[in-house]
Amino acid sequence: MSEMSAPLPVGTTVMMERTGESMEEMYVNMGPQHPSTHGVLRLMLKLDGEYITDCVPYVGYLHRCHEKIGENRSYTQIIPYTDRLDYLASMSMNFGYVMSVERLMGLKVPERAEYMRVILAELQRIASHLLWLGTFGLDLGNFTIFIYCFREREMILDLFEAVSGQRLNYSFYRIGGMAMDFPETWVEDCRRFLEWFRPRLPEYDALLTDNILFQKRVQGVGVLPARTAVEYAASGPMLRGSGLRWDLRRNDPYSIYDRFEFDVPVYDSCDVWARYLVRRQEMAQSARIVEQALAQLPAGEIQAKVPKTIKPPAGQLYARSESPRGELGFYLISDGSPKPYRYKVRSPAFVNLSVLPEMLKGCLVADCVAVLGSVDIVLGEIDR
Amino acid sequence: MMTFADLVQSLYAFAMAWGIPYVVFALVVMAIQVGAVIGYISVAAMFLIWWERKISAHIQVRFGPMRVGGWHGWAQSIADGLKLLLKEDIIPRGADRVVFVLAPMVVFAASLAAYVTIPWAPGLIVRDLNIGILYMVSISSLTVVGIIMAGWSSNNKYSVLGAMRSAAQAVSYEVPMVVALLGPVMLAGSMRMGALVEAQAQGAWLGILPGWFVFPQILAFLIYFICALAECNRLPFDIPEAESELVAGFHVEYSGMRFAIFFLAEYANMFTVSAIATTMFLGGWHGPWITLPGLSPGLSQGLFGLAWFQVKCYFLIFVMMWLRWTLARLRVDQLMDFSWKVLLPLSFANLVITGWVLVAGTQILLMVLGVLFVVALAVGLAGRARGRAATGTARG
Amino acid sequence: MTPDEILQQLTQRFGDAITEAEVKGAEVRATAKAEVAWEVCRFFREAGFEYLNCLSGADWTSRLEVVYNLSSLQQPAKAHLRVPVPREAPVVRTVTDLWPAANWHERECYDLFGVRFDGHPDHRRILLPEDWVGYPLRKDYADERMVPYTEYGMEEKLPRAEGEKPAAKAPPRPAAAPAAAAPTTPPPEAPKPS
Repeated sequence: MSEMSAPLPVGTTVMMERTGESMEEMYVNMGPQHPSTHGVLRLMLKLDGEYITDCVPYVGYLHRCHEKIGENRSYTQIIPYTDRLDYLASMSMNFGYVMSVERLMGLKVPERAEYMRVILAELQRIASHLLWLGTFGLDLGNFTIFIYCFREREMILDLFEAVSGQRLNYSFYRIGGMAMDFPETWVEDCRRFLEWFRPRLPEYDALLTDNILFQKRVQGVGVLPARTAVEYAASGPMLRGSGLRWDLRRNDPYSIYDRFEFDVPVYDSCDVWARYLVRRQEMAQSARIVEQALAQLPAGEIQAKVPKTIKPPAGQLYARSESPRGELGFYLISDGSPKPYRYKVRSPAFVNLSVLPEMLKGCLVADCVAVLGSVDIVLGEIDR
Repeated sequence: MMTFADLVQSLYAFAMAWGIPYVVFALVVMAIQVGAVIGYISVAAMFLIWWERKISAHIQVRFGPMRVGGWHGWAQSIADGLKLLLKEDIIPRGADRVVFVLAPMVVFAASLAAYVTIPWAPGLIVRDLNIGILYMVSISSLTVVGIIMAGWSSNNKYSVLGAMRSAAQAVSYEVPMVVALLGPVMLAGSMRMGALVEAQAQGAWLGILPGWFVFPQILAFLIYFICALAECNRLPFDIPEAESELVAGFHVEYSGMRFAIFFLAEYANMFTVSAIATTMFLGGWHGPWITLPGLSPGLSQGLFGLAWFQVKCYFLIFVMMWLRWTLARLRVDQLMDFSWKVLLPLSFANLVITGWVLVAGTQILLMVLGVLFVVALAVGLAGRARGRAATGTARG
Repeated sequence: MTPDEILQQLTQRFGDAITEAEVKGAEVRATAKAEVAWEVCRFFREAGFEYLNCLSGADWTSRLEVVYNLSSLQQPAKAHLRVPVPREAPVVRTVTDLWPAANWHERECYDLFGVRFDGHPDHRRILLPEDWVGYPLRKDYADERMVPYTEYGMEEKLPRAEGEKPAAKAPPRPAAAPAAAAPTTPPPEAPKPS
């Protein structure tokens, strides 16, 4: 790998080079503009014929100095920036962040706000997984599943728009609660959506999961052994697809997740198929959680009493939550001032992507797209 | 009875009476035939493109073109064609100009040449060669040459890889295709397209089903249809064209009218393979007909035959489009595996069984029909059950 | 092992090299000197912390710091290790041999703070372009392209050169809309299954 890690001049696009090792080896560059890298990701693949012998991901094309900006904003002002981290799961990003600050402050959030948080976070998980499912099928050649998934996702986005005014970057969570309450008919609309959504999952199964062609593309491909997953600190569906029962909502519960009954899907085959099934099952489980939360939703305040300027006591904290992509961690150092002294985001996709070269070894070039799809990356949070 | 042949005869007589040399007459007739076929292909391709967009849209719970031209956007293809005509003609620097320009023409010419032996209606066929089906399959395989020319001349290593993959796919799927086509040829006893249709126009299976070869040759039909999808580079065999794959297709450097010719050739090809399937398996132009008032029986049969042929061809094309928008893509090595390890042995099995049945007699034919059908059903159900079982606990 | 036991073993083994140590909830917090950082990490690894949650840097103006957040999938204990390194020569041994996850985290720490990791297999920048000069997350990072951030309405606080006029005031913000009642239009009906 040494010759690949020497710094390349800025702007180099290595198309094809022959190394001295074998006449068959060549480098192929994938991205940063590519329909299947789901963002500005550049992958340098080293091929031996059709087999991938090495892969070097280049990230940073979407780096927006998020952490530096965070040091110059008040704690509340950072919330809209967290939306733009993983823009496909903004509610989860908000959730992780405000939870970290509240933990630092020792703040207790009102019951209704907690329930609202869980409902929105789980709906967001469904929306994020729907988008993942659609684009994953699209990469493998099935155009129709993309449209079907987006149809359901549009409904969730309509719900989010009703509640926050935004379709994508909601900035809806506040430190100590939520920005606004649910509109009048929102709970019924949400229930109606769940009723519509429940029979859709078997529809996706008929189209994709049960299709032997699709199964042949994803079974046995991109194997990530459990040990490697833990060593590389993979999280979320990467771990659960490798047989490890680890879900932060269960194993390190935060908010009120311990009040809900839901299964944590775990599959053993460690390949793309397992991760696919994990996410597909998670959608069903999230729907379950939302139903229970809607039934238990209490009346009451949605925002705790917080001072106008939020000044957590001096200290540091690492708090983690389960975003659709894995373990989202916020490491905050507060010096008692209104702005964080150090604000670090531990992004799940960043860490999950680092294990991609391990998964791709020995795969065919055509599998690269399937394996990358199974990691479910969002460049916004990888690059911050 | 006024058939196309009679029309040509009367024109010939007319030309002779006027002292026009035969050569000129023959060339004029050929020019008319070519013009008619090209005209048909253009209109059919435009229709098919619009139809594909509509079908894909309705499968995807949306509408497709709705505005251009008024009713359901019927003029969309015309608008797209005009747009492609007006685009800038880009030839990449370093590309081999002659080969680059010729490649789409070769592909289109090969696709066009296959229309010579398509039996549109009783008596309406450009030239009913006695090696009809052999000619069609051989000529349409010349498109591979055009594809390789396109990939190589683009001066783009990805194009070359894409072209090589496409060529490998086309060649691999031709073998089971041709072996599958031998089944109906054996049943009809001739390779002439007209003879194939006539053989299916008589008789009936079990007294009620029409005498089409699809019933005894269901396995060959399925094999042929799958191979036809691969020949046309349609999903699930569209690795050479897929833009979300790592290696781009062979036509990535083509734009404007040149790309339009590739596109046109693809739809022309789709029609050709459907026409072959219709002729060999679905009875060609054979279908119920009535004598229309004011027309001779021959002409009525001709018109109805023309209509039936179109209906059957477009039905098969509809199935191709339906599959495209439902299934996922096969990987290159899985594609090759499937062709050589599954389709080819099955097609040989079909050949052997057909031969044996023809020698042994009709009772055995019925028995073997039944066995084949049961086997096919069992394989299909087993595959479906395997698919379900693999999903396992992913229910609810 | 409980966090208290881990802390006890830690202080026993390393003595003075651990400058601070405490147990907060389920978390063992410790500060170790840079020379023994790798050994302390290996101690934690062997104590069962096989999962590296986060490796980040911090800039306390007198020194830089590398912070390790560790946890385990088997036990509820967590660990939080801080390793101060001097600003002038920030070097610490890499822990990629203990946790391969550290690979990208250390590259990011190098990229944004300039901390060098001895023995790292792929020591180059990750988020910024290869030819970037400087380490942006340091508190003393200055770049003339940086735009200072001001609160709304406080433009006169922006730094400016001698004799330069204050920056123009932004137009006044419109009055805040009254707290919205529930929106009157419910979201569109979910389409009926066809």
